Amino acid sequence: MVAALKATGVDGQLFKRALLGSLSWLAANHEEVNRLNVFPVPDGDTGTNMLLTLQSAVEDVKESNAAEVSKIAKLASHGSLMGARGNSGVILSQIFRGFARAVEGKGSLTPAELAAGFEEAANAAYRAVNKPTEGTILTVAREAGRAAATAASNPDATVPRVIAAAAAGARAAVLKTPSQLQILRDAGVVDAGGFGLQLILEGMLKSVEESEPALAALNESRLPVVAASQVALALPEGGWGYCTEFLIEGNNLDTDLIRGQIESLGNSVLVVGEPELVKVHVHTDDPTSVINLANGYGKLLKLSVGDMSTQHRRIIQGEGAPEAERGAGGARPARPNGAGLVAVVAGRGLVDIFRGLGVDAIIEGGQTMNPSTQDMLTAIESVPYEEVILLPNNGNVIPAAKQVVGLTKKKVHVIETHSVPQGVSAVVAFRPERSGDENMRAMKAEAERVQTIEVTHAVRDTRSNGVKVKKGDVIGLINDKLEIAGDDYSEVVNKALGKLGPDSFELVTVYRGEQASDDELKRLESAIRSSYPGLEVEVQHGGQQHYPFILSVE
Amino acid sequence: MQRTFAVVTDSTSDLPAEWRERYGIEVVPLKVLFGKETFRDGVDMTSDQFFTRLAASSSLPTTSAPSPGEFAEVYRRLAKDHDGCISIHIGARLSATAEAARVGAEAVEGFKVNVIDSQSVSMPMAFLCRVAAECASLEEATAAVELRVPKCRVLALLDTLRYLEMGGRLNRAQAMIGTMLDVKPLLLVSEDAEIKPVERVRTRSRAIPRMVEFFRSEQPVEHVAVMHAQAADEATSIAAELRKELPDLEIPVGQIGCVLGTHTGPKALGLIYIKK
Repeated sequence: MVAALKATGVDGQLFKRALLGSLSWLAANHEEVNRLNVFPVPDGDTGTNMLLTLQSAVEDVKESNAAEVSKIAKLASHGSLMGARGNSGVILSQIFRGFARAVEGKGSLTPAELAAGFEEAANAAYRAVNKPTEGTILTVAREAGRAAATAASNPDATVPRVIAAAAAGARAAVLKTPSQLQILRDAGVVDAGGFGLQLILEGMLKSVEESEPALAALNESRLPVVAASQVALALPEGGWGYCTEFLIEGNNLDTDLIRGQIESLGNSVLVVGEPELVKVHVHTDDPTSVINLANGYGKLLKLSVGDMSTQHRRIIQGEGAPEAERGAGGARPARPNGAGLVAVVAGRGLVDIFRGLGVDAIIEGGQTMNPSTQDMLTAIESVPYEEVILLPNNGNVIPAAKQVVGLTKKKVHVIETHSVPQGVSAVVAFRPERSGDENMRAMKAEAERVQTIEVTHAVRDTRSNGVKVKKGDVIGLINDKLEIAGDDYSEVVNKALGKLGPDSFELVTVYRGEQASDDELKRLESAIRSSYPGLEVEVQHGGQQHYPFILSVE
Repeated sequence: MQRTFAVVTDSTSDLPAEWRERYGIEVVPLKVLFGKETFRDGVDMTSDQFFTRLAASSSLPTTSAPSPGEFAEVYRRLAKDHDGCISIHIGARLSATAEAARVGAEAVEGFKVNVIDSQSVSMPMAFLCRVAAECASLEEATAAVELRVPKCRVLALLDTLRYLEMGGRLNRAQAMIGTMLDVKPLLLVSEDAEIKPVERVRTRSRAIPRMVEFFRSEQPVEHVAVMHAQAADEATSIAAELRKELPDLEIPVGQIGCVLGTHTGPKALGLIYIKK
């Protein structure tokens, strides 16, 4: 208590402590954020996405002893950007980015400068969003910034008071969100992203108020980053060598220079970071040379060397990757002038379908486990093409996917596919000999043409889009919108097809999820066939979680 | 001037019966086998009969090339009142027919047979036969046909890849065609009878305009035909549409034979042309 209250300014180490406090408080409460899900579908949870984004923001910060607040803010900005998942995670990363810009060059912040940083953070978040919506995390960020500024204008303003005001401002704004957004009102909840931000500010406050930040709980409460991000690739004949990762701590580190040198020693090279701390990732046959090279630049932290061949063998085991993929020379491009294809897909059957259609790398993830910007970046770097088309295949993944553009030297096109059917249609339209731009146009047009029906069970009672649902109901979403609630799959699917107007379509592809039984599948098939005899029905094993059936209608 | 050389092709040329009459073209049939029963393509079995039988059959039929002896027999007969022969056949990459013709020709001494590997399949061969039949000499005919061989194209829309795959004529992985999903491939057979995918489309109603669109990008062409397997209405309407755009061309419509049908399956459509 003593040290913090005496602090008149926010230096690097204080800000670090504040961030660690945020992380521990959000970790303790993220399930509560998850429960605020407006949409009654099993979805990428806001709390989890924000927590994983914040974890990534703090990842590199934890290693830094920088005294300047600007350096810590920069690391957090970079880390959050790389770890951004889901919509709120991406906005959170923009908040960190705005803050880092505002405090650039500063060693320590006065209460007024801290408040200005909070305000600029909110502004940056607004700027990053195409159509800002009030009643969301954006409003909460802005109100927190305003409250902080008011507190800072007080002659006895202190850092804890400014943070306390920001947290209180956030809390008040969160409570008001249902009056600003109809969907929140209907669902009877406050905005989840806004509440997440409130928790982050509260966590900061706790850590600057307490003498010892409650960091002990941190490791236990840390979310395991599960396999949302395994990049499935064919195994080149010579093996993958070793996945080598570390941080370099030093001065005036030149990321471009380091990248250039590391590139000569391996592939899938990723060198990112700040002049003081650089993250290196490389697949190499000779990790020793990479480490020796890096040692010349500074101190190495968090060094890890993993045998890629074993990892990848595990991923592709028994999946019979097409011979063509394994051709001599391994990761050399099969299409010298073409573009690579990278997709986010969950479910074993769907992974096989996408791979069969020629996708070069797959990031496993999607519905409930949204991959991070970093996961997608790694996959993009791993394919042997300078131009890459990325298919997020899920509305919640699109924001993080769009962040990847600009983080790599490769030319990345994101086709905003909101669903598996859109992704499949896009990939089907891919032609290897076409340029990235041409493919992009054709794939986008196909993705927009297909209609998606997703069938799942409501995870909570709610009213959404005028449909009243009870927890456990079978619900049908048409193109991401809740349209139908009912008792069984066949009934909901038939109603959904009726809404789409089956006369304008000829083919229904049913992707069967993990939970659907043979019997349910049979009943669904015959229900569609008898109600809509003009439609051709094709059944595929999707193996996706949470959605017993996903249907593509075209 | 009376033509003194003979023109021979095989049943995979889908030569219209009327041309066969008018130009006096000899057709050697390949064979289709349902179990132990063998039928000569277009002789013992018509296309319609074939597809009816295919629909009822639990196992897929197989096909076989004519034997060299069968070719030798034809050449020997033709040698009586011709001074030479041009023999135009299905791409050697797809069938042993041209090779059998070559071996058969060697067995007939004193009769000159120019065996042409059309590097193609179906109506391009029929067009080549007509080009040959209109030439004054075997040398002229051979030159005119050889000039056109690299320009023959078959743009085929299959309803399923099952038949082509069973017949071992296509490697899905190489063709970038999903192993899981039922994709309607638009395939192009070009030089050296190479089959490559032009486009992957999931529904037929989308695939047909794509096929026509691709054909438009291939202009100018000098011969066009629309072929089908039990899809006469669609073929007729495609031809009608194209005749408006290409008023100088005849654009025949026809059904493919039994042997080709074994590899395409029913509901296949093909735009066939020779580029200028």
